[in-house]
Amino acid sequence: MSLFSELRRRNVIKVALLYAVASWLLVWIVSQMVGSLGLSSWVSDYVLLLLAIGFPVALIFAWTYEITPVGLKKAVDVDQTQSIVYKTGQKLNAAMAVLAVLGVAALIGEQLLPEFVPPPPLVLEEIPLKPVFDFSAKAAVPREITSFNLPNGLEIIVWPDHDIPNVVLYNFVRVGGRNEYPGVTGIAHFFEHMMFNGSENRAQGEFDQEMEAAGGANNAYTSNDLTVYQDWFPRTALEKILELESDRLMNLAINPDVVETERTTVYSERRLRVDNDNFGRLYEQMRATAYVAHPYQNPVIGWPSDIENWTQEDLEGFFKTYYAPNNLTMIFSGDVTPEEIYLLADQHLSAIPRQPPPPAITTVEPPQQGARRVLVETAAQTPLVHFAFHAGAEGDPETLHLELLIAILAEGSSSRLYQALVEDEQIALDVGAWQSGGFDPGLAYVAMTLTPGGDPASAEARMLSLLEQVAAEGVSAEELTKARNLRIASFWRGLQTIDGKASALGNYEVFTGDYENLFAIPEQLAATTAADLQAVAAKVFQQNNMTVGVLRAPHDGGDE
Amino acid sequence: MRAALLVVLSLAAGLAWSADVSLPDYERVELENGAVLLLSEKHDVPLIGLRAVIRGGSVTDPVDKAGLTELLATVMQKGAGERSAAEFAAATAGVGGRLSVSANFEAVAVSAEFLSRDAGLMIGLVSDVLLRPRLSEDEFDKERARATGLIKAAKDSDPNDLLSYYANGFLFGEHPYGSPSIGSESSLPGIEHEDLVEHYENHFGGDRLIISVVGDFDPAALKARLVSAFGAWAPAAGDLPVVTAPDTAPGPRVLLIDKPGATQTYFWFGDKGVAIDYPQRAELNLANTVFGGRFTSMLVTELRVKAGLTYRARSAVNQRSRSGSVMIQSFTETGTTIQTIDLAISVLGQLHDGGLDDAMMASARNYIMGQFPPRLETGSAVARMLAFIEQYGLGRSYVDEYGAALAAATSESVAASIGEVYPGRESLVFIIIGDADVIRDDVAKYGPVTEMSITEPRFRP
Repeated sequence: MSLFSELRRRNVIKVALLYAVASWLLVWIVSQMVGSLGLSSWVSDYVLLLLAIGFPVALIFAWTYEITPVGLKKAVDVDQTQSIVYKTGQKLNAAMAVLAVLGVAALIGEQLLPEFVPPPPLVLEEIPLKPVFDFSAKAAVPREITSFNLPNGLEIIVWPDHDIPNVVLYNFVRVGGRNEYPGVTGIAHFFEHMMFNGSENRAQGEFDQEMEAAGGANNAYTSNDLTVYQDWFPRTALEKILELESDRLMNLAINPDVVETERTTVYSERRLRVDNDNFGRLYEQMRATAYVAHPYQNPVIGWPSDIENWTQEDLEGFFKTYYAPNNLTMIFSGDVTPEEIYLLADQHLSAIPRQPPPPAITTVEPPQQGARRVLVETAAQTPLVHFAFHAGAEGDPETLHLELLIAILAEGSSSRLYQALVEDEQIALDVGAWQSGGFDPGLAYVAMTLTPGGDPASAEARMLSLLEQVAAEGVSAEELTKARNLRIASFWRGLQTIDGKASALGNYEVFTGDYENLFAIPEQLAATTAADLQAVAAKVFQQNNMTVGVLRAPHDGGDE
Repeated sequence: MRAALLVVLSLAAGLAWSADVSLPDYERVELENGAVLLLSEKHDVPLIGLRAVIRGGSVTDPVDKAGLTELLATVMQKGAGERSAAEFAAATAGVGGRLSVSANFEAVAVSAEFLSRDAGLMIGLVSDVLLRPRLSEDEFDKERARATGLIKAAKDSDPNDLLSYYANGFLFGEHPYGSPSIGSESSLPGIEHEDLVEHYENHFGGDRLIISVVGDFDPAALKARLVSAFGAWAPAAGDLPVVTAPDTAPGPRVLLIDKPGATQTYFWFGDKGVAIDYPQRAELNLANTVFGGRFTSMLVTELRVKAGLTYRARSAVNQRSRSGSVMIQSFTETGTTIQTIDLAISVLGQLHDGGLDDAMMASARNYIMGQFPPRLETGSAVARMLAFIEQYGLGRSYVDEYGAALAAATSESVAASIGEVYPGRESLVFIIIGDADVIRDDVAKYGPVTEMSITEPRFRP
């Protein structure tokens, strides 16, 4: 028997061929993975080397051993009349054929797949975020942050952080109460609810069931300017989350029966936050009084009659206009790489069609011409007095000055208003202040809860004298230092978590047009002077620019 | 093909969480006076989280002085060591730090978070608050009046925030767990300045202290600082009261709290629960996650998603050292009060009858473990967990072995825990806040009704 025929009989040649075909397929798969998963190129070299080493081993093995009905035996020990090498050879043929077909299919498949250009090479060296407390220096923009746009206009920003095996996704949709008008107030918030209520592929409830079963949780909020969707999940759920988000953005179902159930749910939310909460009742009246033209006058949850009356057409038109990819910004932070997000986003989100830009909101609130007042009479043991002053938009330079001024006035128990009204004079149980600017000019808002039986008129007068004082006399150097330290500490505190990172990055991107502005905060704080704070106080805290609201029990404080 | 490969790879990952969660390494030091220090370094941001726990808490309130411990926690922050109340607040805020003192049933806790560079100042402030509070009479008078006012303000706001005070009172009666930790409009005026001072002397001392610090620090230097700040603190003058297991009156019974004109009814129903050392913690957490602990829970699905009766519905198992409560909480428009409560009760029945199938078990496990890592993401969060497991003697396995315990739980073991812990339909205790004129007659079907007004100055009938 010639060596060649014995090689054939012992299937050594078939094994060699099978080994070659399988190796070729394996090398091809690995090279694809190297490209798509961002692995180092040495991985494919290493695999090739292993396969080369394995080749002679496989041949020697095939020569030496035979598969028999009772298992593997040395070929020399097998009774040739009982040999089943022929059957083994047939199996090897079949395996080779299958592998070859797979390989050809893969090659053809690859040609048929649409080409896309991978993102430019990135420097992925992890730069630990070291804060800079020297205010003269700008906080460096972390180099691991990457942003890109899909061809349909969807903007995506990725901030890798591998401390915990979790990921946060914030989807900022540029629509809120600001985009509403009489008849459809509250529709943006209602839509936030509808986004969880099923698609053409998923019945109501399945979105949440699948997300939670994969270990994820979600929520969303609607403001005057934005609707923001949040997903918190383990990185193992990444692909599932992208698929879920893609499905609701592409195939949302607006089922009329579900709309009716959701109306009553939203009504319950309104009763909770507004109707049965004295603060919520006064706050709604305050906004409706402070604005006469701009849509910021409407409650985000909607007026009751609008909650009851928006139509299917309203909802469908709303979705098409505002949930277009060119109106969204998605932020990923956590245990991900920009490359994998790019590939997944391209796969799941690039088919959503771009739409014409939503109609611009052109209404500008006209200057106020004198103080306005609003009174709410209801059962109340502790009266409320609120003040609203027109102030700037989120992106205005003076917004940071106002933020520091508000910290001096009302942040914590060392603040001016707390010390005066709660500690020293005991007029109020509590006092708070904030500003609510968005894309358009917002309000500087001051709220106090009076002690039981307190007199709203005298409390109002006292508050106004304190606000006039800061406008006339400004703030001290110690107060400025304190406000800056509070702000810089909250800056770093926010960046402790992947959730805080996603939120901060998204808000700066959406409101200021560039997330890098987030990292300019230390520099801007350093440049802020006491004179800046006094200037903004003098500009904002004017009686002509003010709405005052009182909530009290009927027949309480007789001066009203 | 690329996508297919990614799918294959993510399937290969199997479980939906990457690894078991575990606590970081930490050092435990017991000082001669009994104080326990827990230290763990974390250098990703230049912040330090600190949690100081004093064993005791509101269960030490004398029975006629509900709110004493919480009031003490507030007044302790109003001036300490060399600083007046205003100076103390300014010192903390001046460096952008946070420091607060709070009380719960079984501890008073100081939580602080600050920049690493301010560790010396802030640890000094924490030790001032704990060892050298001024407890001045002026500040006491002011804060006592303010505490009473804040309860009235809460009654003008979202009633959900009040349900637990009424519920604890109605459920546990005279037992310390029945006492409102914030006090009441009737109990606070009965507390005098000397009560406050005496309570501080009896219940604050080095032997009651656990202090955990996690963040960006040099361990040797920090330890030396903590030893010098707390190592010589004398023990508390009084004994730590021994809390007995509560003996609750059986249901069914109803407490109706009248809020005239309310357009919505707010309700709580449940019963006595189990203590913090209940061994089947994983089973209980799995059951509650599925029943009322997340958005796709049985309660939310039935009451909100399918029926549109409410915006929110949830269940919770509150565990303390000797017992706790199991509760279901929701709200609905006044006109659908009975429909909603009936539906919630029937969902409780479904939990008892159906238990958790394999898909529910897998989903709840993935959810609990998937949401666990962010709960230990910051130094402050880890400090809080370290102090908690020390306080209750739970050991690091409370975190490290939790994934394994969840994996080991079965539908059968969860069903056993449901039967053991969740009350049956027939023995429920109800707290209902709403417009009594409209719902009074209808809620009588749940059991004998006791009625009070929301403006009554106490949380117990």
